[in-house]
Amino acid sequence: MNAIAHLLFGIVARVLRTVDLWLLGALLALMGIGLAVLYSAGAETPHLVVAQGARFAVGLAAMWGLSRIPPTRLRHWSPLVYGVSLLPLLLVLAIGQGKHGNHWINLGVFYFQPSEVIKLSLPMMLAWFLQREALPPRLRTTLISGVLIAVPFGLILLQPDFGTGMLVASSGVFALFLAGLSWWWFVAAVGGVAAVAPVAWIWMLRPYQKDRILTFLNPESDPLGAGWNIIQSKIAIGAGGMTGKGWGQGSQSHLDYLPEHTTDFIFAVLSEEFGWIGVATVLALYLFVIGRCLWIAAEARDGYSRLLAGALGLAFFVYVIVNGGMISGMLPVVGVPMPLLSYGGTSAVSLLAGLGLVMAVGAHRPRHAT
Amino acid sequence: MAPRRRQLKNAVAEAMQFRRRAAIAFLAVGGALCGLAGWYFRLQVLEHAEYATRSEANRIKPLPVVPGRGLILDRKGRVLADNVPAFRLDVVPDEAGDLDELIGKLSKVVALTPEDIERFRKDRKAKRGFRPVTLKLRVGEEEAARFAVDRWRYPGVELVPYLNRRYPYGTEFAHVIGYVGRIDEADLAKMGDVDSALTHTGKAGLERYYEDALRGKVGYEKIETNVEGRALRRLGQVPAVPGADLKLSVDLDLQRAMVAAFGDMDGSAVAIDPRTGEILAMVSLPSYDPNLFVNGISHADYKALIDNPSRPLFNRNVLGGGPPGSTVKPLIALAGLDSGLRRPEDAVFSTGEFHIPGQRRGYRDAHGGAGWTDLRKSIAASVNFYYYKLAYEMGIARFDQYMRKYGFGAPTGIDLAGENSGVVPSPQWKAKRTKEPWYPGETVISGIGQGYWVATTLQLARGVAAIANGGRLVRPHLAASRRDGYAAPWTPLPQPEAPHITDNPAHMRAVQEGMVGTMQPGGTGFSLVRGAPYLMAGKTGTAQKISRRGSASVDPHQLPFHLRHQALFVGYAPADNPTIAVAVAVEHGGFGASTAGPIARKIFDAWLLGKMPEAPPSIAVPVAAGIAPAVAPAVVPPQAPGR
Repeated sequence: MNAIAHLLFGIVARVLRTVDLWLLGALLALMGIGLAVLYSAGAETPHLVVAQGARFAVGLAAMWGLSRIPPTRLRHWSPLVYGVSLLPLLLVLAIGQGKHGNHWINLGVFYFQPSEVIKLSLPMMLAWFLQREALPPRLRTTLISGVLIAVPFGLILLQPDFGTGMLVASSGVFALFLAGLSWWWFVAAVGGVAAVAPVAWIWMLRPYQKDRILTFLNPESDPLGAGWNIIQSKIAIGAGGMTGKGWGQGSQSHLDYLPEHTTDFIFAVLSEEFGWIGVATVLALYLFVIGRCLWIAAEARDGYSRLLAGALGLAFFVYVIVNGGMISGMLPVVGVPMPLLSYGGTSAVSLLAGLGLVMAVGAHRPRHAT
Repeated sequence: MAPRRRQLKNAVAEAMQFRRRAAIAFLAVGGALCGLAGWYFRLQVLEHAEYATRSEANRIKPLPVVPGRGLILDRKGRVLADNVPAFRLDVVPDEAGDLDELIGKLSKVVALTPEDIERFRKDRKAKRGFRPVTLKLRVGEEEAARFAVDRWRYPGVELVPYLNRRYPYGTEFAHVIGYVGRIDEADLAKMGDVDSALTHTGKAGLERYYEDALRGKVGYEKIETNVEGRALRRLGQVPAVPGADLKLSVDLDLQRAMVAAFGDMDGSAVAIDPRTGEILAMVSLPSYDPNLFVNGISHADYKALIDNPSRPLFNRNVLGGGPPGSTVKPLIALAGLDSGLRRPEDAVFSTGEFHIPGQRRGYRDAHGGAGWTDLRKSIAASVNFYYYKLAYEMGIARFDQYMRKYGFGAPTGIDLAGENSGVVPSPQWKAKRTKEPWYPGETVISGIGQGYWVATTLQLARGVAAIANGGRLVRPHLAASRRDGYAAPWTPLPQPEAPHITDNPAHMRAVQEGMVGTMQPGGTGFSLVRGAPYLMAGKTGTAQKISRRGSASVDPHQLPFHLRHQALFVGYAPADNPTIAVAVAVEHGGFGASTAGPIARKIFDAWLLGKMPEAPPSIAVPVAAGIAPAVAPAVVPPQAPGR
């Protein structure tokens, strides 16, 4: 008996050797909450939950698989992965499909979203490039990094998909930041954005993007039109109160007042049904996930591992702050999902895959001290 | 190139640098997430009440439940106003798209009049866009079928069942019951949001006076609705309270007998139970068909009613009035007794012409000198001289005081809106109207019910009822009792205490004897009593609205309405134990005894003997309200020559 239990434990331990159990625990908690909220938001039918569960399974498998690859090998492949992942970004502009632009490629079996792959390959590429250079990065290093970021960012903006573009670019910027990029760059960037904003308003932004920004500034100005989503979302969040209306009791989502309540606005459903306590719990879990990623990164022995794990962990934060701020009227409407809560395939898989890379960093530390 | 750079790398410094940056990043992320949590705290905890309210307002919509309007029944429970199921066409403007196009399409299947469309446009502005607005009431069966076949072509348009008010006796009760009409903007402004589900409100007569009771209370169901307004489930309800049914004191048979008794004459009459003030019948002729008004009267019909010189819409009993003439003499005689100026047996010598001392102008009697005249004879033979002298001696101030005590110059309090107070002549009243002083001669002619006097038929009926019942000034009323709900018991409507108009029963008896004398040999009404098995009391009268000199050559039908003569009669029966008192006014009726008196006799016969006059003139009773002939017969001004 004992021997069998011991054997089974040994097998499980071997299988999960490369998996960070702290991170896995937090992720499973988030996924569990996500599925519970999705069940409620999806009119209490198992349909969406099963589909999302299947995606989580794929994502967890990818995470497990990637966690077993030593970072040294990852580092070796990085430029190739980066280069190859740019190709579908070009391809999608030609043959892509989507509501507001060309976002997906129809592969027959499923819709492939090329921008999800670049979310992993860009941090890999930057980590690879920066670990070769002397740090903190000099001007030349910074400029080359900027080009590496700008190429996929530009291609994604052409789709156009500002939200994903921003996510991708921010993971690159985080890598630069963690590599020790001078604070002056950030000061200059803020100044530059302020200077470019009026130009962007006139020449670059699409009408629907302008609408979103105007609506953000004053949602009540058009309560039945563009402002509807944010007003209804704020009502859902505010009506939740401290403890929430209870699971399955959110009237805003169940009566369809809340738009997109299984995808972008699912956090509002959670807020309505589980209240501020639910919100704080989920935000604490996200903070734990990010903190754990940074911890693994800080413990890593080589520059590539450090930068990759750190950048991927911080990218998580962008999802949370942009989505959570957007649905509550704190930030303008940008189409970014809530990680592991929003219904939708590719982002869940790419997020879990990214965390698989982080786990790989944690699992393949050289045993010796520095 | 690359290897050289790698030599320059400082692994320890880079690791330290990374840890510093990672720590800063973690603090920044933690701070930002705390900020986000704080923002949610503000929405969810600090501003929770506001958002919770808005969430409930989103979710729950009241769905009005319109109660059935109360029935109006006659004293024996026969239906005078009821509700029949009908269909109407409602439009929800928010869902209907282009309204002009819609109306164009609809008018091909449903007959829409310009009035319907005009009203729809007006109502639309007064209501919120998601509330239905009625386009057409009483949609015909065939129209409804045509619409139903193609209803998918008309988004936002619905065929809604409702209860349509119907007045089965039409013209005969028009001036009693009045009518309901479509709610207009002014009505809507007075109503709550839920009440705006009502389509009709009382506009005239009892329908207006008892609107609050008849309407009931609109209830509503609290319906949980989704974002498209589709009802998902019922959360609760505030039940509708059905309108109260009213039972009138009016008797259907007597009312019809009264209408028939008038034949084709114009005028008004009130029959009242002197013991209680219950109105047994009340007629104003010509009349109109109230069913025309229920669903909005057409311009043509309305113009016909308005242009008719006999003014069929005008309720003569309540709104009209003129000098009471000799019918007021019994009460003036009572004032003479109560003021101590006369005793019943005091006789005055009538020369046929009364002179104010020191004046040359004489005030004449119609029939010359009557010789010695006591109170009884003064009433029975209607001797003007007696009253000229009495009024002159009493003085206008005391005269005014007594007439007000008898209920003149003030509304009777009948349950109809807009009652005319009438006028009791007085210097104060005259001073308000003209700059001229009061002349003593005006006091003299006031004594025979002429001059500035204005009394309504209803006031005359109440006055004679007070004589009949021994001196109680009862409140005339149409509605006797109500019941709140079909199963509820009938509850009598409370009536005010009737004030006494004299303290001395002997005085009242003397006046009553005078009125009985009218109907006896030597009395002005003797011709009326032939064959009556009961004892009658009465008083005839003629009101001159225009001076005799001018009227001789004038065709009375060409006279302006307010200048027409009236033949008057007041009376009660049986004189020894009165159960009915009447006042009758006939326009252009000549002498009171010849036209008004016979009508009163027919009313008495109908009430006391159950004897109905010959079949009433055919009055079209619309089988289905609203599709009545364009103009009801009673509305057409009678053209009979030589009346």
